[in-house]
Amino acid sequence: MPLHLYILRRVVFVIPVLLGITLMAFLIANAVPADPINANLSQRAMSDPEIVAAFRREWGLDKTLPEQYVTYIANLLQGNLGRSIKSRQLISDDIARFMPATIELATYGILVGVTLGITTGMISAIWRNTWMDATARTISLIGVSVPVFVLALIGLYVLHVKLGLTAGPGRLDFTMTPPPTVTGMYTIDALLAGQWNVFTNALSHLVLPSLVLGLFIAGIISRVTRSSMLEVLGMDYLRTARAKGLAERTVVIRHAFRNATIPIVTVIGLSYGSLLSGAVLTESIFAWPGIGRYMYRASTSQDFPAIMGVSLLFAFIFVMVNLVVDILYYFLDPRIRQS
Amino acid sequence: MKVSRLAILLLVLALLVVGAAQAQDEKVLVVGHAEATDSLDPARGYNQTTSLIHQTIYEALVTFPEDSAAEILPGLASDWAISDDGLTYTFNLNPAAVFASGAPVTAEDVAFSFNRMINVQGQPSSLASTVASVAAVDGQVVITLTQPDPSLLAKLAGPGFQVTEAALVQANGGTDAADAATTDAGEAWLNGHSAGSGRYMLDSWEPQVQTVLVRNPNYYGAEPGYYDRIIIVNMPEAATQKAALESGEIDMALDVTADQVPSLQSADGITVYQGSGNIIHFLLMNANPDVGGPMSDPNVQQAVRLALDYPGYVSLFGGVNPASIIPAGFLTAYGPDRALTRDLDAARALLAEAGYADGFEVTLNYPVFTFQGVNMETNAQKVAADLAEIGITVNLNPGEIQVALESYRNGLDQFSYWFWGPDFIDPLNYVEFLPGMKVGGTRAQWTDERADETILSLRDQALVESDPAARTAVFEAIQDYMQQNGPFAPFLQPGVQVAYASDIENYFWHPQWTVDLSILSSAE
Repeated sequence: MPLHLYILRRVVFVIPVLLGITLMAFLIANAVPADPINANLSQRAMSDPEIVAAFRREWGLDKTLPEQYVTYIANLLQGNLGRSIKSRQLISDDIARFMPATIELATYGILVGVTLGITTGMISAIWRNTWMDATARTISLIGVSVPVFVLALIGLYVLHVKLGLTAGPGRLDFTMTPPPTVTGMYTIDALLAGQWNVFTNALSHLVLPSLVLGLFIAGIISRVTRSSMLEVLGMDYLRTARAKGLAERTVVIRHAFRNATIPIVTVIGLSYGSLLSGAVLTESIFAWPGIGRYMYRASTSQDFPAIMGVSLLFAFIFVMVNLVVDILYYFLDPRIRQS
Repeated sequence: MKVSRLAILLLVLALLVVGAAQAQDEKVLVVGHAEATDSLDPARGYNQTTSLIHQTIYEALVTFPEDSAAEILPGLASDWAISDDGLTYTFNLNPAAVFASGAPVTAEDVAFSFNRMINVQGQPSSLASTVASVAAVDGQVVITLTQPDPSLLAKLAGPGFQVTEAALVQANGGTDAADAATTDAGEAWLNGHSAGSGRYMLDSWEPQVQTVLVRNPNYYGAEPGYYDRIIIVNMPEAATQKAALESGEIDMALDVTADQVPSLQSADGITVYQGSGNIIHFLLMNANPDVGGPMSDPNVQQAVRLALDYPGYVSLFGGVNPASIIPAGFLTAYGPDRALTRDLDAARALLAEAGYADGFEVTLNYPVFTFQGVNMETNAQKVAADLAEIGITVNLNPGEIQVALESYRNGLDQFSYWFWGPDFIDPLNYVEFLPGMKVGGTRAQWTDERADETILSLRDQALVESDPAARTAVFEAIQDYMQQNGPFAPFLQPGVQVAYASDIENYFWHPQWTVDLSILSSAE
C-alpha cells in the first residue's frame, strides 16, 4: 500500500474516535453526583439565589444535558472549545498557556528515557546473566517501581537542596524574566531570542524533572528492549550472519536491533503520549505549570468545558502518537509496506 | 570553530555576570504560595490568594491592625458616622489619598467600585447582601442598608470592597451599571494591571505560575513599599516550598505544614511563625431524628462533645482546641483555655440517659481531603477511636469532596466531619451555625422548631446588635450555650505555619490577608 493511502486510512479513523471521546467525557463528567455550584462558589455566594442563577446562566448549566452536548459539538465544529468555568479564560488559550511547558518537559524526559532505556536494555540483552545485566535490570526495576513523586522529592532534596548540583523548582530562576513567547517552550524561545543565560537557566531547571520522568520511562523501555533483543538474538538468521563472518557489532546493531525495534517504538510512542498528557505529581512537586495540573484542577472543580477540551486534546495526542508509530512501522517493517 | 565556541562561552559568562550584577542592585522578595485564584478582579476573585495580593495593591475604606482583626482602623476613609437606626454609614475620605496614577481617590471612585462589585454578581457580592445603595454625596461616601448589619465595617475591610480608580477601569471595559453581570468586561484588564492606591502595583499575573508586583512610585502614605519587586510564585506542594526556602530560591514559604516545622526550625537563617489559623474542624450531628437517628438526641450530642480527646488532635496537626464554633482570636471569642475537656464517665452517663447504655452504630461521612496540611482521614480515624471508648461504633464513609459536599449541603448527613473558614473576619459569620441558619438550619436540620427559645433569642440579638459591649455579651452567651447544646462538636482549629528568611522584618500573620507583603522589609 502506498504511504499516503496508509496515512489517509489512519486519519479517517481519528474522527469517530474523537467524537466518541467527547461523548464519553461529557457523560462521565456529568455522571459524577456533584454540582459545579459547590465546586466553584463560596459557601456564602451559593446561598444567594441571584448569584447561583447568574452562574448557571453564564455557563449554560440551566439547559438540559442533550442541549448542552449539542451546543458543545456545534461550537467545537467551529473550532471553539468554550470557556473554562474555573479560569474564566478560553480553553484554547489555557491549553496554549499550559501545554508548551508539558511538551518541553515530556520531550526532554523522553530523550533521557530513550537513551537510558535502550542502552541499559541492550547491555542487559547482550551480556545476559552477567553483573552488567543485573545492574541494568536493577536500575530499570527502580525506575518502574519507585513512585515518581518519591523519586522527585528525593531528587529535589538530595541533588538540589543538599548537593546543589541541579536547579530547583520552576521553569526558570524566579527572578529571571522568561523569553518572549514564540513556542512557549523556554529553551527554544530563549535560543530564538538569543538569550543564552535564559537558555542555560531553563535547561538547568529541566534537568531534574526530566531525569525523574526519564528514569521512569527508561525502566519500561529497558525491559522491553531486553526481552525483544533476547528474542531476536536467538534467531537462526543471526547465526547465519555470524557464520558469514560479520563483525559482532554489525550483527547486533544492523541485524538484531533493527528487528527488535517494533515493540520498542510502540512503547516509546505510548510513553511519550502519556508524558504529553501531563505528569500531575511531577508537575506539582517541581512547580511546573503544565497541562497535567490544569486537568487535575478542572476535574476537581467540575469544570466541564475544560475537562472536555483537555480530554479531547489528550485523545488527539494519543491518536497522533499512534499514527506516527504506525508510520514508523511502515518504514521499519517491509512486510507492512507490501501488504 | 574553536574561536567561535570560546566566543559563545565568554558571551554566556558575560551575560551571567551582568545578570547577577543587576540582581544585586534590585530589592526583590520571592514568596512561595499555593495559588488558589482564577481572577484578580476585586469584583470576582474571592479566596486566600486574592486577599494576599489585593492587600498589597488596593486599599479599602477601613482596615484591620497588621496582626489581627480585633478592631477597625481608618483606611481610605479618615472617619465615619453611623446613623442611630444603624442603616446609614457616611464616610469622609482621606484628602491625601491618591491612586498609583496620581489621581486623587474620590467618593465617586468608591461608589463606582462598590456598585460594580455588587452588580457584577460575582462571589464577593454575597458580602454586600445587606447593602441597599452606595452613593457619592458631596464628597462623602454614603452606604445605606436594608437592615442593620453589625459586621458591615469588618466586611468593608475584606474582599470585594477594594477601591479602584473608576476612570481607569471604565476605560478598560469596566462598568457599574445595573446589568454589569452581563456587560462588564473589565476582568481581563484587571487580571494584568491594578487600578489601586496600595504600596505596590500589579505588573503581571501568569495564572498558576507567578504574580509580579512592583513598587507604587506615587504612594501617598508615610511608608512606601521597600522592595522593587515582589514575586509570588505558585508552588502547590508544601515540600517544594520547604526545599526552595532552604536553598534560598524563595524568601518566604506561606504553606508549610506542621510536620515540617521541626526541621525548618533547626535550619540556619530561617524563622518559623506558628499560630492558630481561622479554620474550624467540627463534627455535625443531624438534629432531624429521621436523618440523625440517635445523633439527633441532645444527650448523645453532648456525650460526643465530652468523649473527644481534644489535645490529641492538636498534637497531630498543631493549633488549638476552640472553645466553640467561633475561632480563638476573633472578636468576642473564648480562648482555648475555655475549650471543653474530655470526660468519659459523664459521656457514658449521658448515653445511658439517652437509652444507649450499650452504645450504637453510626456512619461518619467526610471528604477525602487534606486542607492546609490537615489530613481529614487521620482525624476521622481518631474520632472513631475516641467514640469507641463510650461504646459508639463509628463506620467511616470517606467520599470524594465534591460528592460528599452534596449530602452535607443538602442536610442529609447523619453524622459528618467538615471544616469551615470564615467569609469575613467577624463573629457574625458564625451565626450560620445557629438554628434556622445555613449550617445549623439547612445542613444539620436544626430548625427553629427543633431549637429552644434561649438560642433563638440569642441568634436574633446577634444579627442586629452593634453596641460592642452588648455584642460581646450576646456572643459569649452563644458560646456558653453551644458548649452544652446543639448539633456541633468543634474540635480543632489547626495551626498555621509560615517560614521565612530571618532577615525579613515586620512579619505578621493576619486572619484576613495571611500576611501584608507590602509592609515587609529586609535587614540591610
